Amino acid sequence: MRPHRIPPQILRLILLTLAIVGVYSVARYFLTPASFGRYGWYRAAALGEIAAYPPDYAGKAACAQCHKDKAEQIAKGPHKALSCESCHGPGMAHVGNPDVKLVKPAAPLCLRCHEANPSRPEWLKQVTLADHYGENCLECHVPHQPNEAP
Amino acid sequence: MIIELLTALPSAAPHIEGYVYPNEQTLLWSVLIVIYPYITGLVAGAFILASLVRVFRVSELEPAYRLSLLTALAFLLVAPLPLLFHLGHPERCYEPVITPHLSSPMAMFGFVYAWYIMAVLLLELWFDYRKDLVEWSKKERGVRAWIYRLLTVGVHDVSEPALQLDARMAKAITIIGIPSAFLLHGYVGFIFGSIKANPWWGNPLMPIIFIFSAVVSGIALCVFIYLILNRLRGLPQDIDCLDAMGKFLFLALVIDASLEALDWVHRLYAAEESIHVLKSLAAGKLFYSLLVVQVCMGTFVPLVLLGSIQLFRKRIAEGVRRWTYFGCSVLILVGVLAMRWNVVIGGQLFSKSLRGFTAYKFELAGQEGWLVALFLLLLPFLILAVFIRYFLPLKTDAGVHPLTELPDHKAV
Repeated sequence: MRPHRIPPQILRLILLTLAIVGVYSVARYFLTPASFGRYGWYRAAALGEIAAYPPDYAGKAACAQCHKDKAEQIAKGPHKALSCESCHGPGMAHVGNPDVKLVKPAAPLCLRCHEANPSRPEWLKQVTLADHYGENCLECHVPHQPNEAP
Repeated sequence: MIIELLTALPSAAPHIEGYVYPNEQTLLWSVLIVIYPYITGLVAGAFILASLVRVFRVSELEPAYRLSLLTALAFLLVAPLPLLFHLGHPERCYEPVITPHLSSPMAMFGFVYAWYIMAVLLLELWFDYRKDLVEWSKKERGVRAWIYRLLTVGVHDVSEPALQLDARMAKAITIIGIPSAFLLHGYVGFIFGSIKANPWWGNPLMPIIFIFSAVVSGIALCVFIYLILNRLRGLPQDIDCLDAMGKFLFLALVIDASLEALDWVHRLYAAEESIHVLKSLAAGKLFYSLLVVQVCMGTFVPLVLLGSIQLFRKRIAEGVRRWTYFGCSVLILVGVLAMRWNVVIGGQLFSKSLRGFTAYKFELAGQEGWLVALFLLLLPFLILAVFIRYFLPLKTDAGVHPLTELPDHKAV
């Protein structure tokens, strides 16, 4: 009886397929991060790496250490819930070195919250810029105490 | 409040009309995501044309068989590039394939793509070309001989039983390849069709519409390349082959146009709450790309021209038919590109509030500019030119032009 022989082209394809699957398996073994899948479908070590980034924001308490007067002023008005860094930008660099200056807030920043928009709650004061006084908010409003005149 | 808003917004954001949520003002999927489904569609279509010869034995199409397969391969090699260019971190592209998640369409695309290129297209080409590769590796000298020898993968058996096995294998692979081609492009339609929050995309017909527009564009591409290649090589055009391609192009176009018309009829009759914004979109922002280019130039005109040839073929001179096929193929290629544009860009131009529109600014030279898009559209033609140089030589020893050489499938 003639022994059954796999045709050469089929044999070569089987070997090629095995080689491709083998390369994929080896690549998967080496390229899959060690901590992948520990908590879910992501790299667990990424959590520690992200947490280790130097923070950019210092927090309201850090601002109040030096700018007590401003912190007390803002605490009395409707902006009391806002963080200082919402308008002044990230402050960690400034906390470490006071020579690093923060962003000087300008009118477009006010409009981020106060530009008229039907998706905003009605209790939030809103203006339509074209009908208002242009982008000269600080002439009439004090951001740290909006209820007071400058 | 709405009126106040409409008067205020133009000063703040001139590209916005009406009410648009903040995260919708800038389009996230750019022209590269238009190119991507276009190119995969051309691949699927070119493969379906080739399968008509191998599986359904449409002998008139044999002169274009190998050209269709090489066209499919050239475009398939470029298909993932638009996605790669679009990624913010292209060096991480292997990660979804190394740690695939079943709920991620992009991870699944990696496997569908790998399956299609390796298990379908390359295998079919290899079995089809094996005899030629063995002969060329013996006949040619230098780098060419090395390339052909490498591609034989060390198998030099070209006996009659071996060639019959090749033909049987190629046919079996083509049969597997047809659903694979549908899967490859149906998946692209699925990505859009499954986004249920977007009424322009979220539609179960989307994968089917994508597949048929892919078949239309793929056949049109093969007609275009076949005519150009023969012209460049000074060879006579095989009018029977062109007539057969024209017939299948017409049939595919009828189905594609009917499906898209059905989609619109259904949308208009069902008149869900999104219909007003979709009508404004079609008649406004997408007027030229949808109604003029896609519907009139890319569908209606080719339907009338190709339909006339089906009805009055014997009364229309060969030269007129050739030019008509050429014109229709160009119109269809542009029309399907416009269709991809209308789906991808159109779906991001209106707000989910259904009360406003944003605009898409097409940049020139940026990472996602039209120069990059143009490069990605031309690159497959350059790759195809190399393939044609190496795998569709003008003359064989017997003086037979391989474009008109019959593949071995008749042995099956």
